[in-house]
Amino acid sequence: MAQISADPPPSSDTQKNILSTVISSIFDVRVLGVLGQIAFIVLVVLGFRAIFANFGDNVEKLGEAQFICRDGRFDYRCAYDFMENEAGFDISDPPLTYVNTNSYWYALYLGFLNTLRVGVLGVIFTTILGTLAGIARLSTNWLISKIALAYVEIIRNTPVVIQLFIIYFVIILSLPKVDDALQVFNLPIFLSNRGLAMAWPQLMSSSAVWIAFLVLGAIQFQVTWIYLARQEERTGKPTNQWGWGIFGFVVIAIIGWIVATNVADTEAMLTPKSSLIREVDGISKVVVTKSGTNHISEVPLLPEDQLAEATLNVCVLRDSKSEPNLTRQLRSQKVPYKVIRKATPDKATTDLLDGKCTVFAASKSILAGELATIESPTSYRLLSVDEQPVVWSVPRLEGFNLAGGLSLSPELFALLIGLIIFYGGGLAEVVRAGILSVSKGQTEAARALGLNEAQRLNLIVLPQALKVIIPPLISTYLSLIKDTSLGLAVGFPDMYLISRTTMNQSGRALQMMIVIMAFYLLISLVFSLILNWYNSKITMVER
Amino acid sequence: MDVMQGPEATKTKEAIVCKDVHKWYGEFEALKGVDLTVASGEVVVILGPSGSGKSTFIRCMNRLEEHQEGRIIIDGTELTHDVRNINEIRREVGMVFQQFNLFPHLTVLDNITLAPINVRKWTREKAEDLAMLWLNRVGIPEQADKYPGQLSGGQQQRVAIARALTMQPKILLFDEPTSALDPEMISEVLDVMRDLAEAGYTIVAVTHEMGFAREVAKRIIFMDGGQIVEINSPENFFNNPTHERTKLFLSQILNH
Repeated sequence: MAQISADPPPSSDTQKNILSTVISSIFDVRVLGVLGQIAFIVLVVLGFRAIFANFGDNVEKLGEAQFICRDGRFDYRCAYDFMENEAGFDISDPPLTYVNTNSYWYALYLGFLNTLRVGVLGVIFTTILGTLAGIARLSTNWLISKIALAYVEIIRNTPVVIQLFIIYFVIILSLPKVDDALQVFNLPIFLSNRGLAMAWPQLMSSSAVWIAFLVLGAIQFQVTWIYLARQEERTGKPTNQWGWGIFGFVVIAIIGWIVATNVADTEAMLTPKSSLIREVDGISKVVVTKSGTNHISEVPLLPEDQLAEATLNVCVLRDSKSEPNLTRQLRSQKVPYKVIRKATPDKATTDLLDGKCTVFAASKSILAGELATIESPTSYRLLSVDEQPVVWSVPRLEGFNLAGGLSLSPELFALLIGLIIFYGGGLAEVVRAGILSVSKGQTEAARALGLNEAQRLNLIVLPQALKVIIPPLISTYLSLIKDTSLGLAVGFPDMYLISRTTMNQSGRALQMMIVIMAFYLLISLVFSLILNWYNSKITMVER
Repeated sequence: MDVMQGPEATKTKEAIVCKDVHKWYGEFEALKGVDLTVASGEVVVILGPSGSGKSTFIRCMNRLEEHQEGRIIIDGTELTHDVRNINEIRREVGMVFQQFNLFPHLTVLDNITLAPINVRKWTREKAEDLAMLWLNRVGIPEQADKYPGQLSGGQQQRVAIARALTMQPKILLFDEPTSALDPEMISEVLDVMRDLAEAGYTIVAVTHEMGFAREVAKRIIFMDGGQIVEINSPENFFNNPTHERTKLFLSQILNH
């Protein structure tokens, strides 16, 4: 703006000068930048004011009824007091015990657990499926790559809700009934219109002892490893660190198993002395007398009506720890049995006295208490049940349901499968892009050095691809977790469905909306925090 | 293990035997029947205009490219579809690339020891000892703990050479090792190559460094259009080329 002029400029010129200074400084990029930011802040503030004003108006309109405290006062801070009331609705397949007299908070908590359950399982299996499909897309095998291509394209180009409907209504609900459930590859995995049931290790009361031994074994592994490594350094002779470490671990695990089995003496069963079971050395030599057979091995040969008579009726309490160990022994002895579940020890004892069940199995303390209430305790006998720390629990038909093992309801199963398949397809493309981002020269150098295909993938390609994969992977995971709210479509009681039900019953829309948003925000933030930390860790390498 | 000694002797007198090698990329015939025999300890330089098939040829020698017809026998082992043969040959043949192809996510030392540990199944200690010897020999032992991205081009290429040599190959393939380097870094790489040639390694190099070819090569192979046009001693090749195509090529590169 420097004007070089010999004469002092006249006053009108001075004004012109000021004007032109102002105009030209408006076009100065630095000034424009500051002005732009000010304008933006003003807009944001105005926007927030409008939202808060609207919020306030709506709270006014909702009226005082929504904000009554438990003591009858009116206070906005009591907005969530209704959550302590009885929920009154049922939850199918709750992750923890639940009755409809529990509070709304508890119901919502169960919904939260369900969301977390689907989210975590979904993330794990999506990662596996997506990685495999992504690698398969790049396979040199024509058939594999084309199958992967078809999967990715079909799944990515159809809406996830429709896929969920198809999986739930068309596939899962039209599976056979539970009494002729599909068995997958003859493995103890059963598919029926009641969902998925599969064998699962069940922890028993003495499992803590065994787990303590396993921890000991792990420590042993570490110590052996360090010791042998030092020895190798000292003597220069190679030592078998893996071999000795694993050997020691297995030995300690076996000792732990034996100890845990013998130490545990908490479970037992109560049976009339005159009954089917004659006591011999625990129940490892069960003898069934009623039907006229003297040895268990003869039982399966009986005609059907006699077999039904010989069937042992076993009464247990719900969630009984005695049951898996007892039934395991009965199965290994080939004794036909039927499990009858009772809500309280009293009811089980009554059944035992009536002869409806031959055996009542529970913890020793419960049985001792029950034995004291029986009129003629001498005609009953208390037998110990052998206890393993972990029992392989296999699903079996009990009434109209499969009991035992791990079971997933059709809704949970459908939602999980639907999300895994959908996001697996998305992830496959992320993985493929990541692998393609590693230059061809890298694989060539690895091949020239003689590394085989698995080594090239694990040591060279994937570590480099991971840097490209992780950021979009995080957003895939977050979408998956938020999409668990699609459980609504198949009636899976996740956080969103339960808060919707709560909202409808209590009429507290505003409160529930805030809760549900806060919950999803919390889950997503925690998740992205963890993943971003991981991301920054792996990208720090390479200078 | 003394790296100053030369390589282990090859099992056969002829380190590399190529007979009537053909290679197609779809319809395009990149190699049209190439015959070449390289004796143990011999240094051969392949020259030729771009697109003449020289890189394809050298890459066929360790199966980075697959030849469709003819035979390639490396140190008595024929390159077939048998994966055991391929792996054995790759262990015995080291390769250095134009773009270095170091692994950016590993340190220099890890770059060098990766294959010895995973392919040769050496202990880490043994691999690292040998790696350090080779880093010393190529003159950059102080860079062992850096990442490739922190090194200059010349240093990276020397690391790549050390990486190939720590596998203890008998044969070395150089695919335009100096073409991606700044001019002032070319000599440091050529010095190392000269050193290796003197130590008795069998070397096949594709390069545009005429000085190196003239001085170090025992024979010069001139390729054009997927065929070998002329094989000659360096002296005769540069002073009395027999073939018209060779004369044209030399006039183009020497008089620019």
